[in-house]
Amino acid sequence: MADEVAVTVRYFAAAAEAAGRDEEVLEIEPTAAALRRVLAERYGAPMTRVLEVGSLLVDGVVTRDPDRPIRSKVDVLPPFAGG
Amino acid sequence: MSVAFAVVTDAPLDADAVEAAVLSAADGALVTFRGVIRNHDQGEAVTRLDYSAHPDAQAFLAAACRAVADRTGLTVAAAHRVGELGIGDVALVAAVAAPHRAEAFAACSDLVDEIKATVPIWKRQHSPDGTTAWVNL
Repeated sequence: MADEVAVTVRYFAAAAEAAGRDEEVLEIEPTAAALRRVLAERYGAPMTRVLEVGSLLVDGVVTRDPDRPIRSKVDVLPPFAGG
Repeated sequence: MSVAFAVVTDAPLDADAVEAAVLSAADGALVTFRGVIRNHDQGEAVTRLDYSAHPDAQAFLAAACRAVADRTGLTVAAAHRVGELGIGDVALVAAVAAPHRAEAFAACSDLVDEIKATVPIWKRQHSPDGTTAWVNL
């Protein structure tokens, strides 16, 4: 298991509503899977739903890969609904 | 091929400007899509949509336009509006110019699909009873 690091997590739209905030710093193992686990525990069903159907933005790349390493910043993105 | 422009704005969209940006003297076809706020969704009445965007949404919109321009060899442009939009308001203008109509129609459809799939924009739908729901969630 990797060491925990400080990760700045930004929330958008339904993710921000589920978290009750736009941004926070979490001490977590820096992987997408660990982030998902921590967020599901902290914020329950609404956040779990966002994570199931949404994606993460890591280093400018939208990803759904649970093994994706994350560094100091990650954005939680609900499913897109433009147009 | 090129991206004439790609803009995310909270101001009303100027479809004429989007079209003018893509059209050249070599084009015999100009296809523009306007995404318009409608008063229903999946059988439920809708009174309003609130659009919000990631701070990098405009860069993603430009990348979507670039992907379609590269695939088709055509000039494309798009503008997406955010904020509180009412029934009949235009949320998206996407335009493609081409020498002939078939490729312009196909590329414009491709462009709209690409934008919907890749640009981090969200909308909250308001119902007549005051409830709201996030679209696609």
